[in-house]
Amino acid sequence: MLFILIFPCGITSSQTTSNTIVNQLIEELAENNDEDVDYSELIERLNYYLKFPVEINKINYDQLKDLFFLSPVQINNFLNHRLENGKLIDLLELQSIDGFELPDIKRLLNFVYLALPNSLNKISAQALLKQGDNELMVRYSQVLQIQKGYSISDTSSRSRYLGSPQKMLFRYRYNYGRNISASLNLEKDAGEQLFGTLNQPFDFVSGNITFKNIGKFSKIILGDYSLQFGQGLGIWTGLSFGKGATVTGIAKPDFGLKAYTSFNEYLFFRGVAASLDLKSFRLTGFVSYRKYDASISSPDSITQSEINSLSISGYHRTLNEINNQNSVNEFLVGSNLQLRKKNLRIGLTSYQSTFNNSFSQGNSLYNQFELATKSIFNNSLYYAYNLKNTYFFGELANTLHQGSAYLIGAISSISPQVTVVLFHRNYQRHYQSLYNQAISESSKAVNEKGFYSGITIKPDTKFEFNAYADVFKFPWLKYFTDSPSKGYELLSQLTYTPNKKFKIYGRVKKEVKEENAEVINSVHEVFPYSKLNYRLEINYKINSSLTFRNRFECSHYQKSADNQKGFLAYQDIIYDPLQSKFSGNMRFAIFNTPGYDSRIYAFENDVLYSYSIPAFQHQGTRFYLNTRYTLAKGIDFWAKYGITHYSDLDVIGSGLEEIKGKNKSEIKFQIRYKF
Amino acid sequence: MKYMIIILLLFSNKASAQFNSGARFTGMALSGVSLQDIWSLHSNQAGIVTIKKTAVAIAYEKPFADQELNSQSIILVQPIKKVVLGIGFQKYGFSEYQLLKAGFTIARNFGPDVSVSLTFNYHELKISGYGNANAFTPEVGFQYQLNEKIRLGAHISNPGNGGFGKNIEADLPVILEFGASWKFTPKVMIAGAITQYNNSSAEVKLGLEYMILDWLALRGGFSADPSKQYAGFGINYQNLRFDVAAGSNPVTGYSPQIALGYEF
Repeated sequence: MLFILIFPCGITSSQTTSNTIVNQLIEELAENNDEDVDYSELIERLNYYLKFPVEINKINYDQLKDLFFLSPVQINNFLNHRLENGKLIDLLELQSIDGFELPDIKRLLNFVYLALPNSLNKISAQALLKQGDNELMVRYSQVLQIQKGYSISDTSSRSRYLGSPQKMLFRYRYNYGRNISASLNLEKDAGEQLFGTLNQPFDFVSGNITFKNIGKFSKIILGDYSLQFGQGLGIWTGLSFGKGATVTGIAKPDFGLKAYTSFNEYLFFRGVAASLDLKSFRLTGFVSYRKYDASISSPDSITQSEINSLSISGYHRTLNEINNQNSVNEFLVGSNLQLRKKNLRIGLTSYQSTFNNSFSQGNSLYNQFELATKSIFNNSLYYAYNLKNTYFFGELANTLHQGSAYLIGAISSISPQVTVVLFHRNYQRHYQSLYNQAISESSKAVNEKGFYSGITIKPDTKFEFNAYADVFKFPWLKYFTDSPSKGYELLSQLTYTPNKKFKIYGRVKKEVKEENAEVINSVHEVFPYSKLNYRLEINYKINSSLTFRNRFECSHYQKSADNQKGFLAYQDIIYDPLQSKFSGNMRFAIFNTPGYDSRIYAFENDVLYSYSIPAFQHQGTRFYLNTRYTLAKGIDFWAKYGITHYSDLDVIGSGLEEIKGKNKSEIKFQIRYKF
Repeated sequence: MKYMIIILLLFSNKASAQFNSGARFTGMALSGVSLQDIWSLHSNQAGIVTIKKTAVAIAYEKPFADQELNSQSIILVQPIKKVVLGIGFQKYGFSEYQLLKAGFTIARNFGPDVSVSLTFNYHELKISGYGNANAFTPEVGFQYQLNEKIRLGAHISNPGNGGFGKNIEADLPVILEFGASWKFTPKVMIAGAITQYNNSSAEVKLGLEYMILDWLALRGGFSADPSKQYAGFGINYQNLRFDVAAGSNPVTGYSPQIALGYEF
């Protein structure tokens, strides 16, 4: 009965409540992943499916993977159910599929529909064939206080921001049905010149044209694209998650070739790529030529110039940053062959990446296994296999003449209530890949061995318990860690959702690692440090349009005599009525953390396609107000104002970002026009 | 090496105080306080009340996969009318350092849901060149079947804080333990426990047992503070039981063990 109620609103309300469900999913995801990842791509993907829901009997493996909230076990169970029982004739059937709980089904129904055997089918087909959709968006944001980088005079030889403090962003999307899409992104960061050295407005320009399902080609992309294969050990650019409270998220759903639509200026490819489907095989070929920002050592009589480091920030604000802009280029060519049989997927990726300069290793002992050549040749083999209630996955990658890395894992639903995750990894210190984003404790999957075990228990629809333990070793030295080191991370979270209106969860996370002492003496020793975080969050709906949310989080950092305790508490009010032109949310937060090491992260609501996960440190308060208003059909306007007051500081930030005073505030405006 | 081990033993009270409670519970992160098994005799003795026939079991553990250090246990459980009696012996250490424990347990049910146990232990510490010391400690155990699926357990060791004497570093800690186990399906059981020592911080443990086949059990678990991961498996063949488990700690390495049990 419930489904009959849900089903019609799945289609009809998708336009009006679109932001609500996407926001909710992104928020849940962000809650579970504190690291700063670019969610804009994901928001865009979900919004696409909201707009073009897929018929449940036609939805394929790749599309199901796009809906990130489904686990690999669920996807396989769904596809097997459809294969064995034929077309679904009622959405109620979803309930009978192993691993599909009510909340998962409710989420899924936002993005799929069941075609009834009448004219509805034709209508949706006509709707899709209707002319193309255009979406144009402009965003403007600025810090209201004057930062030091802008106040240094032109005549001074000191480093300063050459551009204006405004950040401007332009975004255009074009969709012609499901087959053709195009995107263009332009961005000027704060501090960058609008007409910079490249003599073009906006210093970051990214775009592509994508063709889907043209003959045997499932995808052809001209322009900027990303590649995500296997478990991310060989090659993976774009959105990627690490360890989080969603323990089943350890197995990554790989999307293969994707159009690149994010504003991150570092991890993407530029050129041509295409995927060809031949029966059970999919062959993807890719060629990319692009420039990177890098600092380069100047050549002398003996040595040629070498790349000291690639810059990942994408900022071109100071003379130095501008000098490094586009200073090296990379030519990358490669292919992926993937076989997909009923429960099995095997893939092989090979690529060669060649830079116009060699990398320099640096003189420190810790980086002596880093890349020191002009070019690398990388191969990786991966698999995923579903056996009854267990999903096995793994990847083995090798850099020719360098090191190797592998990972293996399994996710098993050993009962309808209990899911267990086991994951082992061993990444050699001289394994090289610039595009490696496999699950790891370090920022890159090199120089690490570890074993992860996790469990999810859902005794009924009201309770959910998640926990994991990850124990790891770093066999070689790391930055600020002058010996091999080890550590572990534990997380447990209990969520209670007695009804649709109320949700509470508590989380404890502990992390212990080793690093150098603050003062290095003659003996290079490492010392353990620990970070302990407790969080309690309550969400409750006052009525259909008003939601309150409270969070309280404590952090405790300890290293030898350094003992820091901090807290963050906030109140959110979310106003989001159905069928209204206006919606908004606001937060008031107080925080007090003694220093950087005890900082606390919290996801913040933002204007559409934007996201922020600021770290709170020092003592003070934060307030923000974020609103959306529909000016006319197809035209939406967003505005956000945020201010952080630091009661214990007279100078905020450091370097060129420095602000004199106790307040830092920011405004943001955004307008979107759909036509 | 031997001196290293002595140092390790003296400084790691948790390690020396933890009597080997068999490979099944070890595979489940030593979260056996609310479970029922012959090896409850070395965990929470109230769990032996379900044993209906004479049963024996032995276990052998190599803590930290060291060449010499080991722990050997033998236990016997005998039901007599309304009570269940148990005798257990355990030897821990190596040739120059030995810790012996002998225990006698009486356990019985009170009603269908409650079981209680009382244990008396004799401990002996032998360090070659230093002589012997001995001590007596009691243990009290309690278990309660809350409903069909959930069982609770509580256990206290050495409530009187008895020890080998002031001059001897090897401490016999006071240990208080609580736990619950949840049988989700006949195949899947999860057990959690909190162990509080009088001389160090509390340990939180979570263990899982999955009967993947009628005769084969897979186990795993982890504990926080100190952080350890555990894994193991068990095979049942008629009246015979064979269990293997290993615990792993980032500092001390692996501790593998095997256990064999027989019910007459």
